[in-house]
Amino acid sequence: MNEFLTVPMVKEQEEMTSDILLDMVILGAGPGGLTAGIYAGRSGLNVVILEKLFPGGQIAVSSRIDNYPGFPDGVSGTELVRGMEKQAVKFGARIVMEEAMRIGKEGTLFVVETVGHKKYKTKTIIISTGADPVKLPVPEEEKFRGRGISYCATCDAAFFKEKDVAIVGGGDTAITDALHLTRFANKVIIVHRRSELRAVKALQEEVFANPKIAFQWDSIPSHVVGDEKVDGLEIKNVKTKEKKVLKVNGIFAAIGTIPNSKIVRGVVELDERGFIKTNHNRETSVPGIFAVGDVRDTPLRQVITAAGDGAIAEFSAENYIKSMER
Amino acid sequence: MEKLLKEQDVQYIKELFDRDLVDPVELVLFLESEGSDKVTDANSQYLLATEEIAREVSEISDKISLTIYKDDKEKEKEYGVKEISALFIQGKNTDKNVVFYGIPSGHEFSSLLEDIVNVSQGATRLSPASKETARNIKVPVEILVFITPTCPHCPRAVKTAHQLAMENKLIKAAMIEANEFPELSKKYNVYSVPKIVINEKVQFEGALPEDMFINKVLSVVDGS
Repeated sequence: MNEFLTVPMVKEQEEMTSDILLDMVILGAGPGGLTAGIYAGRSGLNVVILEKLFPGGQIAVSSRIDNYPGFPDGVSGTELVRGMEKQAVKFGARIVMEEAMRIGKEGTLFVVETVGHKKYKTKTIIISTGADPVKLPVPEEEKFRGRGISYCATCDAAFFKEKDVAIVGGGDTAITDALHLTRFANKVIIVHRRSELRAVKALQEEVFANPKIAFQWDSIPSHVVGDEKVDGLEIKNVKTKEKKVLKVNGIFAAIGTIPNSKIVRGVVELDERGFIKTNHNRETSVPGIFAVGDVRDTPLRQVITAAGDGAIAEFSAENYIKSMER
Repeated sequence: MEKLLKEQDVQYIKELFDRDLVDPVELVLFLESEGSDKVTDANSQYLLATEEIAREVSEISDKISLTIYKDDKEKEKEYGVKEISALFIQGKNTDKNVVFYGIPSGHEFSSLLEDIVNVSQGATRLSPASKETARNIKVPVEILVFITPTCPHCPRAVKTAHQLAMENKLIKAAMIEANEFPELSKKYNVYSVPKIVINEKVQFEGALPEDMFINKVLSVVDGS
């Protein structure tokens, strides 16, 4: 039984008046956006964080984070993000549950328009829209999504009690999810396209020591087998080209992310994969717009790098505001 | 039982309630006594914790009252109770049609608080277009929303379903904690949450935006 109780920290959207000029609008309440919000609040900026679904972004579904400093015993994504949220609100950032739809320009200022057609006029924007999981590359993905294919191990692990499941991927997320799944599933098969894991050593040691976990190396998913629900995963060995079917009822996928950069397409420069190009100040190609965390062209996508980005971007944004006023 | 809400959280909720509550809200909780065949090793902890949550929340504001019915078959029939525990949010815009089956914990605790505010104000946060659509529905609709407490995007589905019910008393909307009711989860093939079942006919997974959610409801209504 889960005993934690999530108390919402978000402010009422009715409270917000959109005709006042803001110093900063932050798009997305993940670790990067919330950190920028904490810094902006402490600097006395008038700052609004827009969040379309739930604060936390991808870490909200992480069962355990072991590499965020200050938590020697690990911390759940939910708990970590709750703390960040409270901290941002405490220092005056306002979190509004609304999805941004368009960014426009009005002189030297920006206008952020939401899906509900509200407009926020602001001096600066920080894009922290994060990234979404890549869908499982099989023809049957849509048919079986929610019927055995899942992208949220923390949400759905409990439905596979005593069952066999597969997890596709070999990075930190895949391995953390695999370990979480062993608390429920009978057997967890890791399907990875290489012959070794990309996950950090500490996680590798844990996963290799776990008797419930098996491996299918050099393998990629090719088909999902089943009628109404998942009964198996057909995999193909990339070296031998051999195919075989794993008898599993659940398939979890953690095979990378795609950036949520749609809102700035045509506004700021993106790289060929859709990540926002930034410099060391986290400035984008448009002065006054900054980008942080998973959505930018960063070499490492972690909670701490997103948080670090948030602090730097906020600092740069403050300097930008000062230069505007000069 | 140890307090489930931290003092700091109680303070925050009190601020929220003091600011936002208008009219009285009654939490009506259906439970079974120990020894009943509905109380098992698997769910007895859930029932205790659910009672505790309801009690602690109701103690935060004078505008919230708590009524508990234990083993009360007549009342269960009156409310149309399907499972134990059942927690109904009763107020001026609800009539036994907004319910939580199982514990409203984890991320769903925020759904409970938001429901209380919406019922107390007699108003929802749905868009004007959604309200209009909901009010125009003329046939009974039953929406089941399966969730797990660790699912951060599930409250969106629960809140949308509950608000539709607040707009139109012909709509009944229930949150169902999937872990607590494995039989039901099995019956409805729940493998991923949120899973939404409308009038036993339309099923879908995922936290759809409000307008798409309503379109799913309409697809059932139009077909009947």
